[in-house]
Amino acid sequence: MSNAKTLQKQTLEKTSQPAKKKRSPWVTVWMSLKKNKSAMFGLIIILILIFCALTADFIAPYGFDDQDLMARFQTPNSKHWFGTDNFGRDILSRVIYGSRISLQVGFIAVGISMFTGGALGAIAGYYGGKMDNVIMRFMDILLAIPGILLAISIVAALGPGLQNVMIAVGIGSIPSYARIVRASVLSIRDQEFIEAAKAVGANDFRIITKHIIPNSMAPIIVQATLGVAGAILSAAGLSFIGLGIQPPTPEWGAMLSTGRQFLRDHWHIATFPGLAIMITIFALNLLGDGLRDALDPRLKS
Amino acid sequence: MKINKKLLTLVSLMLVLVLVAVGCGKTTDAPSTGDTGASTKDTVIVAQNSDAKSLDLHATNDNASSRVSKQIYETLVSQNEKMEIKEGLATSWVAIDDLTYEFKLKEGVKFHNGEELTANDVKFTLTRALESSHVAHIVDAIDAEGIEVVDNYTVRIATKEPFAPILAHLAHSAAGILNEKAVTEAGEDYGQKPVGTGPFMLDKWNTGDSIELARFADYHGTAPKIEKIVFRNIAEGTSRTIGLETGDLDIIYDVAPTDVSRIEGDDNLQLLRDDAISTTYVSFNLNKAPFNDVRVRQAINYAVNMDLIVEAVYQGVGKPAKGPLPASVWGSNQDLQPYGHDVEKAKELMKEAGLENGFKTTIWTNDNQQRMDIAEILQNQLKDIGIEVEVKVMEWGAYLDGTAAGEHDMFILGWGTVTGDPNYGLYPLFHTSAHGAAGNRSFFSNPRVDELLDKGKVTIDPSEREKYYLEAQQIIRDEAPWIFTWDREELSGLRSNVKGFVHHPAGHHALWTVYFE
Amino acid sequence: MHKYILRRLLLLIPVMIGVTFIVFTMMYFTPGDPARIMLGESAPEHEVVKLREELGLSDPYIVQFGRYVFNAVRGDIGRSYATKRPVMNEILSRFPATLKLAAAGVLVAVVLGIPTGIISATKQYSLFDNVAMVLALIGVSMPNFWQGLMLVLLFSVQLKWFPSSGFSSFKHLVLPAVTLGTSSAAIITRMTRSSMLEVIRQDYIRTARAKGQVESVVINQHALKNALIPIITVIGLQFGYLLGGAVLTESIFSIPGVGRLMVDSIKSRDFPVVQGGVLFIAITFSFVNLFVDILYAFVDPRIKSQYK
Repeated sequence: MSNAKTLQKQTLEKTSQPAKKKRSPWVTVWMSLKKNKSAMFGLIIILILIFCALTADFIAPYGFDDQDLMARFQTPNSKHWFGTDNFGRDILSRVIYGSRISLQVGFIAVGISMFTGGALGAIAGYYGGKMDNVIMRFMDILLAIPGILLAISIVAALGPGLQNVMIAVGIGSIPSYARIVRASVLSIRDQEFIEAAKAVGANDFRIITKHIIPNSMAPIIVQATLGVAGAILSAAGLSFIGLGIQPPTPEWGAMLSTGRQFLRDHWHIATFPGLAIMITIFALNLLGDGLRDALDPRLKS
Repeated sequence: MKINKKLLTLVSLMLVLVLVAVGCGKTTDAPSTGDTGASTKDTVIVAQNSDAKSLDLHATNDNASSRVSKQIYETLVSQNEKMEIKEGLATSWVAIDDLTYEFKLKEGVKFHNGEELTANDVKFTLTRALESSHVAHIVDAIDAEGIEVVDNYTVRIATKEPFAPILAHLAHSAAGILNEKAVTEAGEDYGQKPVGTGPFMLDKWNTGDSIELARFADYHGTAPKIEKIVFRNIAEGTSRTIGLETGDLDIIYDVAPTDVSRIEGDDNLQLLRDDAISTTYVSFNLNKAPFNDVRVRQAINYAVNMDLIVEAVYQGVGKPAKGPLPASVWGSNQDLQPYGHDVEKAKELMKEAGLENGFKTTIWTNDNQQRMDIAEILQNQLKDIGIEVEVKVMEWGAYLDGTAAGEHDMFILGWGTVTGDPNYGLYPLFHTSAHGAAGNRSFFSNPRVDELLDKGKVTIDPSEREKYYLEAQQIIRDEAPWIFTWDREELSGLRSNVKGFVHHPAGHHALWTVYFE
Repeated sequence: MHKYILRRLLLLIPVMIGVTFIVFTMMYFTPGDPARIMLGESAPEHEVVKLREELGLSDPYIVQFGRYVFNAVRGDIGRSYATKRPVMNEILSRFPATLKLAAAGVLVAVVLGIPTGIISATKQYSLFDNVAMVLALIGVSMPNFWQGLMLVLLFSVQLKWFPSSGFSSFKHLVLPAVTLGTSSAAIITRMTRSSMLEVIRQDYIRTARAKGQVESVVINQHALKNALIPIITVIGLQFGYLLGGAVLTESIFSIPGVGRLMVDSIKSRDFPVVQGGVLFIAITFSFVNLFVDILYAFVDPRIKSQYK
């Protein structure tokens, strides 16, 4: 989990180099992304997952909580492709429904940290001075506590459950967005077009939202893509130690945690949710790498 | 290129540091016994699912600590594996009136610090226990003013009112005798410097990992055959079993139900299973409709397929509960007729209660895996009689507070009759005076049961007492304030060369009888 | 330089005060009465009330916080509710395990990551490179708690090569270290590769090659030395993360480390331990980061000049 973060940090270091590009239209980015086979592969997997999440009610062969205590611990077979768990529930269906939870957690948690962190970073960078100092010192405090530990404490304080897990995971990565946005604000704050906008009487809010934010989009997008991966991992980790999303909700980490007790006799219970997490993260990483390459002017030949 | 040389030095320095860090801890952390063991085996390695919190008997009352303390301390009287009262530090005792027992202490008993046991230590211990917020409820029948030191080896203990099960309470491991001097000297650190009269004394405590006990040379009783006991903290059931299979461990407590057949099928291992004294129950809130209607409560008892729940949740370990007391508690009524699974009858009763269309309700549980599992299955099974159940998983503290305040509809909890006496297993749970936090969270109230429990508490004659308790259990079974759920089994795994190990129903197993073959 | 270090150290003070305040407040408002949790279902209400008094939990927030800070400044961070041991002992007794684990994890990561990264860079787009990069990506994608379970399944349960839990010998350390080190190894591999590629493209390497030096000399003597700077940073950061983030690995392998202590204490609402533990980890973490920054400045004079 921490590592997903470090990976982001690296990317961040690369991408937050002063972006000198002329505001290249997103079309160019898309064109270069399309050429990147592995990124497209990642994108396709993610689209499939989103499709699963949206249509789970139709494509899942069983309900996620349909118990059949007579059909417990079945190994994968033609009726249950991924087998059944300790309550005789169909694991494939639970994995499919689980995609809903994980994607939701991933996107919303990142949304929380992106907006909060972005806003704080923009304000800190734009106004500078005391405001900057206060905000960034606060970010330092958050950064001083390792992410997983922070998330665990927040979940403990708020109580378990989907919503609280999203908040807990989201808060932990606020500082990284704040830093990115602040850095890019600083790099363009004094540039001519901002001066010009000021001269024609645009107010601060307008300058921030119309000029500064769009200019820091590239690193944010990369960070967010990888952030979704990190958030999914964190949420699964929280559920794994029993502090996250509660049963019978088919969260992948929670399913893994249940499967752990039966690891020796019924390997399939822990294996499939684990694979699901891995594939999702893998796809997000592929896409994130691709986006970084597409958005990073230095690597463009 | 100077910088690079510096850099390389730094890198190698870092690597060396890392290597040192990896290497050095080894000497400090390893239990000195090692895993493979010497040729003549005199160390028994036991694994349980958490580390002891404190070895001060009055500072905690958790199972993991008691299991260690049991080897260190002794009580005035003891209970054997059938929960019968036997000699302990007292060699004889007589009731001198309705309230008072006089105990004669064994002479020449040494504490681990070399002090001799006297009646003063007994008085000191019980007085201290009464002030403890952790264990006072075990000894609170005792009148603090009524502990009297007659001479060095004679002590009288009086209760505030006649209290039949007093000996069972004094045999509880939390009533072990401490040494006044040791407690005073250690001050706040006493929990890490325990001193008792037991066959083993604390040797070394690797916090969070293991506790090592060494044989006490001046023990007053039969010297144990083993020299050392190591308690290891291994939270995961599966990991304990693997450790037992590989021979790293000699005894494991609380075998995971999934591993039962594995241990049974292994020639190098033996599985020990005995009835324990704790039960799990699902309670209704009798203050709330529709649970104030006995027909609804009975209907739910009929609607639940408990055999299937025990099979699914506990992999067939333990038994569906017949009534409020597990079989191993003295005076438990094993002639009670279990409700059994009868959906038709359940529907009939619901109809009689005017609820043939069912109703919506909530079941609370804390985040205990088995209880959450039970809640989920109940949710499914109660659909059969039209009851829609919402499962709410709660944080432990809030859970206990909420159920004590009666905010729940239904909840799941367990109870251990730790003294092995029916008074402890029934009075707090079903007496009207115990409503709420004292234990009666179902708010059950029945005049006849109150009367029977009151009588049982003060009557000395065992056969009279038994009669009261049998009747009380019959009424409770019929009134059904609970869904009688599951009686636990004590499950331990042993290497086949381990001999002399016997379960104690309270879960605090004695290890001084263990030897290797 | 000294000034820089001093300034960084001074900056740590307000950050740590902030951490203390945030954690204390969060714990204070965490639902669940520690006294009730500790005493469980069989304790009557008056015992709970009594324990709450003993622990000082009935005092108002501001009194509790004030008392905590007052004592902490004098070096006393309290005793555990559950074990009554001083929090400092509680943490220090678990720290060696965590340190060992983190160190072993970094060792695994470095041993795997750096050579793989170097080979990948020198043979860019070769089969080795492609396979290594895919593996590295899988390495960062694998949830380490799942990986831990799978390793146990394979190496403890099936092959019986390594024990599945405990922490008493070198053998016990292998699986947790691999579990913990895998994703760091992946990150270090990627970092080494890209850093090497960058250096290789630079002029002086071309010059060296043009002068006809043997390729291995070029790589080892020139390229690697310069590429190492960012790699060291990553290693340092990883070490910091592993120190604080080994919670899951510790819980899978029953390792008595600080991470597990934290989780257990949060679950049982043992506030003084949580409080002290978070502070301890935060300080360690900040020191490791500071050390990495200093190291960075030390090896790269260009950066050094910026630290005034």
